[in-house]
Amino acid sequence: MKISLLFLSLIGLLTACANSDSVSPGAGVGGSTARFTISGNTLYTVSNTALQAYDISESGNPKKGTNTKLGFGVETIFPYRNNLFIGTQTGMYIYDITQSNAPKQVGLYTHILSCDPVVAQGNYAYVTLRTGTNCRNQSITANTLDVIDISTVSSPKLLKSYQMTNPRGLGADSSLLFVGEGDYGLRVMDISNPLDVKELNYFANTKTYDVIPTQKRLIVTGPTGIYQYSYADFNQLKLLSQIPVQP
Amino acid sequence: MGCLLLDGCRPYYAPKPTTTGDSYRPVYAAYSDIRTIQALGPQPLKNAGKIYVKDNYLYINEAGSGIHIYDNRNPEKPVQVSFISILGNQELAIKDSILYADNVTDLVALNIANPLNVRLVKRIENAFDYSAYPLATNVRFECADPAKGVVIRWEKADLENPQCYR
Repeated sequence: MKISLLFLSLIGLLTACANSDSVSPGAGVGGSTARFTISGNTLYTVSNTALQAYDISESGNPKKGTNTKLGFGVETIFPYRNNLFIGTQTGMYIYDITQSNAPKQVGLYTHILSCDPVVAQGNYAYVTLRTGTNCRNQSITANTLDVIDISTVSSPKLLKSYQMTNPRGLGADSSLLFVGEGDYGLRVMDISNPLDVKELNYFANTKTYDVIPTQKRLIVTGPTGIYQYSYADFNQLKLLSQIPVQP
Repeated sequence: MGCLLLDGCRPYYAPKPTTTGDSYRPVYAAYSDIRTIQALGPQPLKNAGKIYVKDNYLYINEAGSGIHIYDNRNPEKPVQVSFISILGNQELAIKDSILYADNVTDLVALNIANPLNVRLVKRIENAFDYSAYPLATNVRFECADPAKGVVIRWEKADLENPQCYR
């Protein structure tokens, strides 16, 4: 009994660490399409054209900090280690925030052309690109999941591109990557080898805009409401509950 | 006429842009109402926006009008606790028991230690721009008219001949 309890708490610890690179003490977790994020004692917000920092070392007394001009059409912000990944219409900017109040641009990945959410894990960033969005050049015809090598943040490199249907928000938890396919459902991918990302499962009926994986639970937003699934067994997402949207 | 003065707006006789075919209409609120923030009883979820998870709570943005708070201790049965009315709200983040949210053009910090009695602890005015256009591009939209109030969100609509685009 004691052994199994120890084992369970170990699993708990490992789980708690899974997202530790992108979680700050005392802060919560948002989705991949967020425009507010917290890293350490700083709140970062993105507007259409700028990145604004707020010092929140005293959480009840945020103080306006640096404003950094960005390219046009800023869409998403994702904190990872000492970096911020910012998706804009001119590319994915990587900022170093070691000095939290003085974000410094260290990298730019220009193959991404708009409101493409980004998540990062290990030495890789995962980005979805889709057609039919209102915020990209209409000549783009790819619907892909791109894996970008960010081991050198100053020169992010496309490692591999995987075909998707119409991908939107995404979320990673250790070897798993959940990709919302909008009206086309939800994919669960195995990313243990980024050069050979494999689809573990595809749930065509789970319409998904964005996801938050947390504690072996997946919170899904979709056109019909908010759904919570357990992925303790990731071959079989188990619906725990739903909060339907009222007509 | 107001449209011509706003960034992102062009009169309809400008060269016809490529659009996705979507058109948007601004949803307004009165200036006098925008700074009233309060915790209300549970409200129906209608336009689910961003979500946020912290500790045992799940926060769901109601696009343009506030945040639903759910007690999520039992994920099999999330319980709606309250609704924080914040006009113009789209985004949120939480540290300790302070929730940061956009309230039209302001950033607000709210103490949510008691979700039934939310307190405004700080307001930073003019942190964000007046929403003169929807975030989407290559779309047509009804020009925002500041005389009608503040735009709290943009909704897709079938419009006859929207005069602005971006």
